[in-house]
Amino acid sequence: MIIFYILGIPLLLTALCLLIKKPKLLGLVNCAGYFAVLFFSSILFKQIALSGVTLSFFNFICLDTLSVFFVLVISVVVFAAALYSIGYIKRDIRTGAISEKKACTYYLLFNLFCCSMFLVPAVNNLGMLWVAIEMTTLVSAFLVGFYNKKESVEAAWKYIIICSVGIIFALLGTILFSYAFSISGLSKSLNWSDMAPVAHILDKNILKVAFIFILVGYGTKAGLAPMHTWLPDAHSQAVAPISALLSGVLLKTAIYAILRFGFIVIKGVGFAYFAHLMILLGIISLIVSCAFILVQKDLKRLLAYSSIEHIGIIAIGFGLGTPLAIGGALLHVFNHAVAKSFMFFGAGNIVAIYKTHNMRTIRGVLKAMPFTGLMVILGVFALTGCVPFSIFFSELLIIISAFVKGSYFIAALLLLLLAIIFGAFIYHFGRMLFGNLPKGMKPEGEPLSGKLAFLFLLVLICAGAFMFIFIKKDWLWMGQKLFQL
Amino acid sequence: MQFTILFAVLISTYLMVIAKRMPALIRAFRYQSFCLFLATFLMAIKQSEPDLYAVAALLFILKVIFIPQLLYRTVKKIKAKEDLGLFINPQLSLLWALGFTYLSWEFSTNFISQGNEVKAVMLTIAFFVVLAGIFLMVSRMTALAQIIGLLAMENGIFLLAAAVTGGMPFFVEIAIFFDVLVSVLIMGFFVYRINKFFTHIDVNKLSRLRG
Repeated sequence: MIIFYILGIPLLLTALCLLIKKPKLLGLVNCAGYFAVLFFSSILFKQIALSGVTLSFFNFICLDTLSVFFVLVISVVVFAAALYSIGYIKRDIRTGAISEKKACTYYLLFNLFCCSMFLVPAVNNLGMLWVAIEMTTLVSAFLVGFYNKKESVEAAWKYIIICSVGIIFALLGTILFSYAFSISGLSKSLNWSDMAPVAHILDKNILKVAFIFILVGYGTKAGLAPMHTWLPDAHSQAVAPISALLSGVLLKTAIYAILRFGFIVIKGVGFAYFAHLMILLGIISLIVSCAFILVQKDLKRLLAYSSIEHIGIIAIGFGLGTPLAIGGALLHVFNHAVAKSFMFFGAGNIVAIYKTHNMRTIRGVLKAMPFTGLMVILGVFALTGCVPFSIFFSELLIIISAFVKGSYFIAALLLLLLAIIFGAFIYHFGRMLFGNLPKGMKPEGEPLSGKLAFLFLLVLICAGAFMFIFIKKDWLWMGQKLFQL
Repeated sequence: MQFTILFAVLISTYLMVIAKRMPALIRAFRYQSFCLFLATFLMAIKQSEPDLYAVAALLFILKVIFIPQLLYRTVKKIKAKEDLGLFINPQLSLLWALGFTYLSWEFSTNFISQGNEVKAVMLTIAFFVVLAGIFLMVSRMTALAQIIGLLAMENGIFLLAAAVTGGMPFFVEIAIFFDVLVSVLIMGFFVYRINKFFTHIDVNKLSRLRG
């Protein structure tokens, strides 16, 4: 039943946005609502993930370990974004960037966006999964083009067109999957809970072709290179909390969709096919993002390319396919979601007071905003995988399993690219954080809600690592169970 | 009868590919959607399924009446130039389209087992419509033409679903229709925005974001 609370609360909040016309109050209500969602989804996670049961309601919603894990990741980032939004929107209203009425629209769209994202891992029907993912695109297009500027309208247009075309390929793939299912002589159905158990008797050739379409389609949404071109535009132009949501969880919902189809393909065609494709796309994503990170001038685009890099790492993790690698990839999904939203919040604060995205003109962040500056330093180390933070552990797991499996080339390439990206990040952020303030600029404080959002995520970034040490066995068991079905 | 309708879909798609001006493109899209409606309607009569009647009715209302009307209105309102910003001229486009038809025929005969010609033809035309949609999106540079390309792709997918699985489950079909409607409305909204900020709708010239 809990899943209905999780899906219902965002809907309820959407309705509230139509009634209440005070942005400040709305922000607080939102925050409380998403705290409740976070609470419910952690209960759900405990209930399902650790017992390994599959819950299903009315043939419409079906939850297993993978789905509740993604629900948990979404609810964590959404709560942090709701918290951060309060202060961010207040500042935008104060500086006159948006009107009060527009702020209410922001909350309305925010809630709709969250609602559609929660729907993705919950639904059973693969057609509805497609609809839910398309809904996320449509709603978030408004949030990308939220500030009525030339750049943001351009970004929103590219976003909506590229993602819609991509996702049409995914629909094509979905139909081919259902074709494979229908010619096997079984009853007509699009539910993954019906398809997955009988995947081994489905036609291999059709599954192969269908999975390519799925990978191109949902891969576009996930930001896997070479289908990533919408991603830096959309991430850099969206409102800061929304950039965090786009990068932290929207990409992950597409990964979820790929995995859902992936399980069927693994069982029907064999693991090697799935593995080769995932690793290939993962490596291309890493190389492309590495090149663009090195020469980047725009702060938010830098973070967007870093998302492509991490999605690549996740794809490689799932492609390697040993329990250790899958555990690592799942952990990486969580860690990247948390660390990247953390960084986007930092970037949001920086951009808000410097009024520019250009990294060459931003100087002395530590002096201008001591708290944000400190957090961004921690965030840079967390994001590039330094020791005490959680991303280090998940990357380590993936690299270890590459070595154990004997894929030395992949492991070496991964290490090399990660080292280059680390260097580039330290270079870019070092120049921004230190140095003197530009003339005529005064130090500025951050709103309380913004600080709380940072601290909440920071705790998770640090705890992610320790949590793993304690629940290692359960986690590996989860990883193993996922790919065996 | 079935072959006649499929043939009509093919012809209307060729018309879309060779259209030089916006109204002609919208009209061809309307013909295409109307053919799909006829096909669905006939299937509904044949199988006497109420679900299919509903799908046919929705198809007629949305894709034959509402969306083309909306697009016509947009063209008039934004007073943009009516030509499509062709990257590839109509004659060459037609050659491309013929090539696509052949490709999709090759693909679908490999895909479908021998002896099921109706299905193979349906699949060929479905894939061809999808390919033509992509072609329109790539080779026509105005924002509105891209919307129509997307809609054509969606029509192709609809035909594909009907060809291979006899249609998707009813509520999925409805959800997809709803999705199409919303996406067209939102894209239309952004076309207005682009026209307002850039005073043109040539997406090839949207190049402020790079790198």
